[in-house]
Amino acid sequence: MSREIDPEYLDRENLEKLQLKRLKKVLDRVYHKVPFYREAFDARKVKPDNIKNLKDLERLPFTTREDLRAGYPYGFLASSLSRLVRLHTSTGTTGKPKAVLFTQKDIDQAARLITRSMRITGAGPEDVFQNMMSYGLFTGGLIFHYGAERLGLLVIPSGTGNTERQIELMHDFKTTIVHITPSYALYLAEVMERMGMDPRGDFNLRTAYLGAELYSEVTRDEIEEIFSLDAYDSYGLSEMNGPGVAFECKEKCGMHLWEDNFIMEIIDPETFEVRREDEEGELVLTTLNREAMPILRYRTGDLTHIYPDPCRCGRVHRRISRIKGRVDDMFILRGVNIFPSEVERILMNMPEVGRNYQIVLERHGGLDEMRVILEIKKRFFRGSLKDLKRLQNKIKARFKGELMVTPQVELVESATLPRTTGKAKRLIDKRKI
Amino acid sequence: MAIWNSHFECMTKDELEQLQLERLQATLNRVYRSVAFYRKLFDQMGLVPDEINSLDELSRIPFTGKTTLRAGYPYGMFAVPLREVVRLQCTSGTTGEPIGVGYTRNDLTHWTEVSARVLCAGGVTKNDVVQICFDYSLFGGGLGFHYGAELIGASVIPGSNLDPARQVVIARDYRTTALIATPGFAIRLAAVVREKGLGPADIHLKRGLFTGEPFSERTRKQIEDELNIKATDNYGLSEIAWPGVAGECEKKKGLHIFEDQFIPEIIDPRTKEVLPLGEEGELVLTTITKEAFPLIRYRTGDITALDVSPCGCGRTLIRMKKVAGRTDEMVTINGVSFFPSQIEHIFSQIWGVEPRSCLEIDRRGNQDIVNILVKVSEKIFFDEMKKLQDLKSKVEREIYQDLGISVKVKLVEPDSFARETKGKRVIDKRESS
Repeated sequence: MSREIDPEYLDRENLEKLQLKRLKKVLDRVYHKVPFYREAFDARKVKPDNIKNLKDLERLPFTTREDLRAGYPYGFLASSLSRLVRLHTSTGTTGKPKAVLFTQKDIDQAARLITRSMRITGAGPEDVFQNMMSYGLFTGGLIFHYGAERLGLLVIPSGTGNTERQIELMHDFKTTIVHITPSYALYLAEVMERMGMDPRGDFNLRTAYLGAELYSEVTRDEIEEIFSLDAYDSYGLSEMNGPGVAFECKEKCGMHLWEDNFIMEIIDPETFEVRREDEEGELVLTTLNREAMPILRYRTGDLTHIYPDPCRCGRVHRRISRIKGRVDDMFILRGVNIFPSEVERILMNMPEVGRNYQIVLERHGGLDEMRVILEIKKRFFRGSLKDLKRLQNKIKARFKGELMVTPQVELVESATLPRTTGKAKRLIDKRKI
Repeated sequence: MAIWNSHFECMTKDELEQLQLERLQATLNRVYRSVAFYRKLFDQMGLVPDEINSLDELSRIPFTGKTTLRAGYPYGMFAVPLREVVRLQCTSGTTGEPIGVGYTRNDLTHWTEVSARVLCAGGVTKNDVVQICFDYSLFGGGLGFHYGAELIGASVIPGSNLDPARQVVIARDYRTTALIATPGFAIRLAAVVREKGLGPADIHLKRGLFTGEPFSERTRKQIEDELNIKATDNYGLSEIAWPGVAGECEKKKGLHIFEDQFIPEIIDPRTKEVLPLGEEGELVLTTITKEAFPLIRYRTGDITALDVSPCGCGRTLIRMKKVAGRTDEMVTINGVSFFPSQIEHIFSQIWGVEPRSCLEIDRRGNQDIVNILVKVSEKIFFDEMKKLQDLKSKVEREIYQDLGISVKVKLVEPDSFARETKGKRVIDKRESS
């Protein structure tokens, strides 16, 4: 038996051969196990056997966020329930979450992609890795943890919050790598300075993995400068098993999307036509190596483009640009994905709240804040200060419970906020991306 | 009823003692070689590790206390170089500075093993869907339970510190069968289940494993009735292993201590003498498999008693009773020792709730006198004074009958309560007067 080449190092031709082989297996599997796909195939009069090459993928249906929600909890399950070893849900959504299900093989595969991603930035067993992403149902923390553990370095599963304590650990245990959201990185620097510590001189940081938020090259430069480290972009989403979908190598020139595990397409988000790869559009992903929840042509909602030229590092896995924005109006606050429609639903379910409100996103000392300014119905505004305070707290608690984010709440009298004749501008994002 | 590791959990006394002695000797040699604190201590005492030839001689070695661990922070107590440490956990730091606890790869394997044993003793199998409601960061027990449940092959939901309402929704949708939480959290979940009007057809829980807070038989009964599950207790501490020091089996007759990894002793917290088997005192633990953070005769501060009588489950491991309280909280009045928690328990039986209370102890002549300050809300204070007076005398009588001490219960408004107690559970004025 010949030794199998690690798919990371395949040449283009063999990588595409592998993709096609895996795709055929996936199609066969979903057609027989997932009613949603069988119906979608049948409606288009396509059979798995009709897909002869990668180009034929265009004949297959898309999968949307709404499809996944409708399928919650087990509608997209393509293996038996008893083989599941891990159940996550997507963050930030309420009414109906999206299920993220794993067999042991899925966990291993997701961890392997993280290990690979960390390795291409030069991480090794001698590193001390502080994972400052939320652990729990959010895949960002745990899946990264698994990959890091396999690399054999020291893992500090610090999660989010408790910032001063985290900084002490970072100092005392000489952390070299952090996995962090860009906004939390900036906040960290502030707290370090407040504690009388120098982000450059008092720490051993040399690498940061930045993910889970939109940000710009300017912010990357700023973070690299403040801490004196190399910052790499990381891309993933719960629907695709979390982080480790695409990762920057040392060239810092786009993120290698791991094409042995995913097929990527760029589409026009209006017409759904597949675009030339170097054109900007919505990223669409098909999973190739997933047992519990294989997904075809998932519309990520993320805008990007593919770099056509080969990377100087020599890897053939093509690179996507940093995410430039969203197809929809979703915004990300402290790593949590939030849709304005959810904010509206929460507010409109409270009898005290009038029809007019604004969501203001601001960055205070590196930390993102959400301020909700809302009009209170006249009859509720007559109450005492105590009543208003109580209402404020109620709104905060409702947001925290449903969106996992606590906003500042400003109550104003009805007819105070500016009226517009057209579409009301509810979301004001003052953050500098 | 399954036993996770019948080799180590069902050894004969001779086999176990032989194993313990071998592992103890190896541990003593390791700490003497690698931990400056122990080397100095042994040298001062004229102890040579190789001369400890029986388990009885363990009592020649001085204790290790929490202050020592604190003084050794960050890695003074580590017995291996940092490059062999692959995980850092931390004590919660609710009482003072945190302590970093390192794990080598072997330590993680052992920890996962004892966690699996705890879960297995509580009835968890690979067919269970296990929802873990403990914080997953390095300060919590979430990851420890997670690894154990994964080793068993169960489906794991990393609920972490999500609020009770969301945990219930997830338990319903994913059909959770085993709940891992604090007893208090379980009671809050039961309340949410009631509020949402959910019934046995919606909630599929069969068992729950509880730890992290005092867990009285009354609380157990309440949880078992309200959630319709079997509830078992387990014990651990983050300095040694949390979870994983001991776990109750379905016989519910005490918690089996995993003696192949930890040697337990019970001492009198005042005289520090080892107490005869069966007597209540402070639990002292010696780790005999740990590589990175071995501890010799560590004073846990937890009060319990040991029981060697055979258990119907087949495990030969010694059992500890439910933890009765903390040494640092034990109070002695006119020669009678008790825990504030015993008083709180009496309140809960008579009042139906546990009010916030504080013991105020003073001395008149050679008599100790005790006032119990009880916080009551402003509203109740005026409206239900009469009823409260009756309940008050009832509590006083009950405490006299139960504990043999006479006390006066004083009802105090929230503001004065905060002012007088300053958040303390016990105010002892005897030493200052």
